[in-house]
Amino acid sequence: MGERRVAVTGAGVVSPVGTSLDAFHAALCDARSGIGKLPAEVTQSSGVQVGALVDWDPAALFKEAEAANLDRASQFALGAAGQAMASSGLDVADRRERVGVYWGTGMGGATTLEGAYKQVYGAGEWRLRPLTVVMAMNNAAGSNIAVRHGLRGPFANFATACSSSAMALGEAMQAIMAGRADAMVVGGSEALLTPGTLAAWQALRTLAPADGADAAASCKPFDKRRTGLVLGEGAAAFVLEDESLARARGATILALLTGYGNSCDATHMSRPDREGQIRAMRQALVQAALPPDAIGYINAHGTATAVGDVVEAEAINIAFGAAAAAIPVSSTKSMHGHLLGGAGALEFAAALMPLLRGVLPPTAYLAQADPACKLRHVPGEAQRVTPPRAVMSNSFAFGGSNVALVAQRA
Amino acid sequence: MDTLARIKDLASKEFSLDASALDPAAPLDTLGIDSLSFIEFMFKVEEEFGVSVSDEDLKGIKTLADLERHVASALATAGKG
Repeated sequence: MGERRVAVTGAGVVSPVGTSLDAFHAALCDARSGIGKLPAEVTQSSGVQVGALVDWDPAALFKEAEAANLDRASQFALGAAGQAMASSGLDVADRRERVGVYWGTGMGGATTLEGAYKQVYGAGEWRLRPLTVVMAMNNAAGSNIAVRHGLRGPFANFATACSSSAMALGEAMQAIMAGRADAMVVGGSEALLTPGTLAAWQALRTLAPADGADAAASCKPFDKRRTGLVLGEGAAAFVLEDESLARARGATILALLTGYGNSCDATHMSRPDREGQIRAMRQALVQAALPPDAIGYINAHGTATAVGDVVEAEAINIAFGAAAAAIPVSSTKSMHGHLLGGAGALEFAAALMPLLRGVLPPTAYLAQADPACKLRHVPGEAQRVTPPRAVMSNSFAFGGSNVALVAQRA
Repeated sequence: MDTLARIKDLASKEFSLDASALDPAAPLDTLGIDSLSFIEFMFKVEEEFGVSVSDEDLKGIKTLADLERHVASALATAGKG
């Protein structure tokens, strides 16, 4: 028996630039940014100016009482996972024990937790809702998905900051390859645009101020004029399946997930490390058994920080060697912002664009490329392309966690 | 609205149930209300009526009718009934 391969058979997106995979891809194709000035009730005195909010109406998906019992991050997760399940057409009725959930999030129910602290310390009201714990806990989003769809197989929640959901994808792939599950619902969500969390991020001095001319253009990865990252919120989910089982049921296979690299810098809590990133990318290529030139697009981590973009550009050039010059690279964070724990999953959805639609998503607003970021950019506008054999998506996190994923044409 | 009607109204919203079909004598678990949901519901009942039900009394509440008796007695004690 050959090694099991893992197929992506469903996808769902709840993002600042669209709340379905199609809408998300359409926005990236048009280089449409979801970044804008945040309302005063969100920023308060944090000093943060811009962010990427999801235009979200819980009533479209949940009854009022149900929504009140779900943190915003869990609502996004259920929205994205519901789409992924529906699009995959996976029937779990007779094999619930063989289908599991791996999820990723940085801060879990941040809105619930901050609300509770505000009530206790701000208003001196110590009588909290009994559901506070189960709404705020980090694994709430993934568990809500498991409960909603009756998925009794392997469960895990990854909390490795900005690589959380990329790691969930990679580990779910491993779980299917190891025969621990037939299928996995996998992804990540984040909803932490709350005044207290924004204040904490502002203290890191890593957030971009509003662009003077156009707030939508505040995040400019790889550009000489870049000023930092812009926080976003949302979720993306996928159904991963044992390829042979997916083919047997006649499922539409969006792509194959074939490579997963995972490394830790072990050097510094926040400073990116080139060598750690190279190890992750190389591992992913080795597992996928692909030469560097088989990769036809890289969705960069590309947060638009001064140091981060340069280190990643250097890492890509070293990991891919001579092939790097020809590989288009973009950072879609320029449009949807940085979803932190949800970033890896959302950007994996962006990385599928060249495979599914023959379109390279751009780095929006990239007009003056930083010579220190020597890459084959996709500046400003999307580009048509012959669907490549494979793509890569990078996710690098505070704490030194690095994840690279490789997806191939089905 | 009397106490029971207000409780039924709260319950119908919290659990998405039809208030007119709620049997006050039915055990809560047969209404599909589990213990965690019930504790969250009690929180809202206490807020609504401005009363406090002790943990000891809470254990004795098996139906909406039980709940009404506790709330009514707490209101009477507090002079709100």
